[in-house]
Amino acid sequence: MSALAYDIKSSTAVVRAWGGNVKVRLYLHWPFCRSRCAYCDFNTRVASVGYQEAYRTALLAEMGMWASMLGRAGKTIRSLYLGGGTPSCMSGDETAALLSTAAERFGLEDGAEVTVEVNPATWAEDDYARAVFGGANRFSVGVQSLHDGTLRVLSRPHGAEEAMEALRAALDSGARSVGADLLYGLPAGCEGTFLDSLEKLMGLGIHHLSVYALSPGAKTPLARMAARGEVALPEDEAVAEEYLAAVEILVRRGYEHYEISNFCRPGHRCRHNLAYWRREDYLGLGAGAHSKLGGLRFWNERSLLRYLRTIGEGRLPVSGWEVVTGEEAREEMVMLGMRTSRGVSERTVSHSSGRLRELARGGLLDISGGRVKLTPRGMLVSNLLIADLLWS
Amino acid sequence: MDKSRIRNFCIIAHIDHGKSTLADRFLEITDTVPRQKMAEQYLDRMELERERGITIKAQAVRMQYMATDGEEYRLNLIDTPGHVDFSYEVSRSLAACEGAILLVDASQGVEAQTVGNAYLAVESGLEIVPVVNKIDLPASDFEGTAMEISDLLGIDPGEVLAVSAKTGEGARELLDAVVRRVPPPSGEADMPLRALVFDSSYDSYRGVVAFVRVVEGEVKRGMKVRFMATGVTASVDEVGYFSPDMISCPGLEAGEVGYIITGVKDVTRIKVGDTVTGREAPAAEPLPGYREPKPMVFAGVYPVDSDDFTDLNDALEKLKLNDAALSFTRENSKALGFGFRCGFLGLLHLEIVQERLEREYGLDLVVTSPNVVYEVVDRGGGVTYIRNPSDMPDMGVVKEIREPYVQATILVPPDYMGGILELVKERRGIYQDMTYLSGRRVEIRCRLPLAEIVVDFYDQLKSRSRGYASLDYEHVGFLAGNLVRLDILINGEPVDAFSIIVERSRAHEYGSRITKKLRELIPRQLFDVPVQAAVGGKVVARETIKARRKDVLAKCYGGDVTRKKKLLQKQKEGKKRMKMVGRVEIPQEAFISALRAGGEEKPR
Repeated sequence: MSALAYDIKSSTAVVRAWGGNVKVRLYLHWPFCRSRCAYCDFNTRVASVGYQEAYRTALLAEMGMWASMLGRAGKTIRSLYLGGGTPSCMSGDETAALLSTAAERFGLEDGAEVTVEVNPATWAEDDYARAVFGGANRFSVGVQSLHDGTLRVLSRPHGAEEAMEALRAALDSGARSVGADLLYGLPAGCEGTFLDSLEKLMGLGIHHLSVYALSPGAKTPLARMAARGEVALPEDEAVAEEYLAAVEILVRRGYEHYEISNFCRPGHRCRHNLAYWRREDYLGLGAGAHSKLGGLRFWNERSLLRYLRTIGEGRLPVSGWEVVTGEEAREEMVMLGMRTSRGVSERTVSHSSGRLRELARGGLLDISGGRVKLTPRGMLVSNLLIADLLWS
Repeated sequence: MDKSRIRNFCIIAHIDHGKSTLADRFLEITDTVPRQKMAEQYLDRMELERERGITIKAQAVRMQYMATDGEEYRLNLIDTPGHVDFSYEVSRSLAACEGAILLVDASQGVEAQTVGNAYLAVESGLEIVPVVNKIDLPASDFEGTAMEISDLLGIDPGEVLAVSAKTGEGARELLDAVVRRVPPPSGEADMPLRALVFDSSYDSYRGVVAFVRVVEGEVKRGMKVRFMATGVTASVDEVGYFSPDMISCPGLEAGEVGYIITGVKDVTRIKVGDTVTGREAPAAEPLPGYREPKPMVFAGVYPVDSDDFTDLNDALEKLKLNDAALSFTRENSKALGFGFRCGFLGLLHLEIVQERLEREYGLDLVVTSPNVVYEVVDRGGGVTYIRNPSDMPDMGVVKEIREPYVQATILVPPDYMGGILELVKERRGIYQDMTYLSGRRVEIRCRLPLAEIVVDFYDQLKSRSRGYASLDYEHVGFLAGNLVRLDILINGEPVDAFSIIVERSRAHEYGSRITKKLRELIPRQLFDVPVQAAVGGKVVARETIKARRKDVLAKCYGGDVTRKKKLLQKQKEGKKRMKMVGRVEIPQEAFISALRAGGEEKPR
């Protein structure tokens, strides 16, 4: 084991990295779902109640390890995010209990954003209120679509009406902010359902919207069906047009386009997620969760079994790490910063201004006030553009 | 040794007709190499030669043979390269001999190259000992093959011997025939020294080893000598002969074959065909027939990884030590970076060099489509030679472009004659005449542009004759053609590696093929990118690489940026292999694939 690995496992390096930063953001990962969606390849699984209980115990133990370390340094949490998987596989009360424990152990900054991801198929109306009682003030609802046909193709565990009910419950729960996820680039047969769902969500007065292009993970059922020709996924050209249409509609209706996939009404940006793009510090707990503290990035065991075993042995379940400095830090800054509406400073990109102007003339970049940012068309080809900005 | 007991001879044979196997039998019969030590085909030492079944470097072995007449003879077997690319080397090897065994496979019959080399031998005044090989094979046709040989040489079929190089049957009789029919060497030992350098090799400790045939006079250890063509003077550190290993001796007299080592380290200073004479009492005239090796085929040779440039340079330097005909100069291609424009005697030579660079030096190479050398006459009447199509001056100042032609001889069974004549026509050949050889074979004579031969003529010849046709050719100089330079432009910028000189009427076809290929191979960019083929300022073909519309990772879930970073890392690695053409970034792989694909099919 390298000295660094030893350091991490014995937590001294982490505390050192932590040292200069007063505040941190906390992510808790809940890796269970009721059922697997046809396109999903995230670190999640369907498991028994007993298994989930064992995981919950381990997560609390991991929290304890960190809290005792950080407690000594007297740190507090700026935002808390409970994601998954499907955290709402827990009841509202269980969720509230987990959130309160986290707040108690780490100390929560006043007015900190506390988000819980919810699947419409899980909670009853009062679960939302119970979660709010435990400290939640923001819900992110995995709607994906408000059309039954589309939801069936995606093998989501809920229907359109159920999703509407979930959203209404979330909006009525006393939470400060409610967001929804939607998928575009849907298979043939679902035409028009994305923009229609978008309209319905705006009609509800939803605060926050995340739109993601459907990209079935390798080896997922949907990817296999597409490969066999049973499902036709749209051409890039059509997907691009759909995205541009959504951006236009949302902006016209007063939503800020603050990140490639994220839109919100003024004052409702997800501060926790923004921290990722801004390279702020965050601590991720749970199986496969990622953390960044200063120049140190590290991540936990992805395998549930190994995660549980390591915690059981009283050790931190860290499975990998890297130290990010110098050029790599610049690359991260551009890679992450260019996703946001703030962009990056012109100095950070290694480019002749000639090339920048060319990209701007081509409608891919927007340069103003010494900052470079992507236009919606540029966002669609951000992978190419970011590489271009970094190394051309 | 008494000159009358010396016989210097070589074996003329087509590839695979059994030359090396026969040589092995000679080495056994004469006890030059004991049977148990005999590596298969001893004379072909290089691994590559053994694999390809061809001889690249000539060897010369001295053997002691007790003939049936009861006398002991000293036989010098001079091995010759068997490919038309090396015809000059063949001619020098022949000049070192008084006789030649003409070896023909009984199941294959006479091949064009054999004919070419046999005529060359006859013209050089060599006594020919014809022999039919592989008589042990069930498919062999001794009678028919002997008839063909007799037609070819105008001799009595009864003079043709039969041998099985594999079993050794007839090999002794053959050696006896060599002793009987091949005349002993004629030069006198008391004349001033004249020795022919018929080949050389390079020893990393001792420098150049020159293989010589002493024609007149005597060369001795310690003697000061002069190479008459290059003017290089040196003193002889060692004299010896091959048996088959190098064996040092005090000297070599007129009529003998062996080697000299002079301490000269540079293979280009001791050239095949040069004459060695004494510095004191030099000969008045060199031996006839010396020629500068003239590469006719050129190609760009580039390392796939630009970091390997220095290694490629070193490897070429080393190969050159052993291969005086190889030439190379640095060049810089926009598409491929730094590399070399290399000159070769022909396509086989190119392939051998490429294979040796890759195999012996572990290099990963890109080789551009080979081109011939062009003679360009400008409006003022000045003549220049162009080795790289992208160096071709603007058509406005060019009066005429001339290309090298060859005099070709094709032997083909009458059944396939039509297809071959068609091929000759497609390749801009000028048909001359046709002769029937013993009813089994037609000899077609024609002139062809060398450029038509260097790409895949030989493959076509074989496929259109089920492998039966064979080809021999010799260079006959330059002829004017209706040729133009075709450039490929990406986003308006010419990409040098794809420039080619083509006949005007074929420019469009080649242009559209290569632009289509590039459109498929070049990844879509942030903007539309036109790919054009142009002659002068005129676009003859065009394709567009449409801009990429969508390439985005939706999210970095839960702060997991590793997936995105991995992608970024891959892009970064990719960028290292990108070549900038104007403002377009193109992965080198795309160029390599296009060039490789381009070589598969002859532009026409």
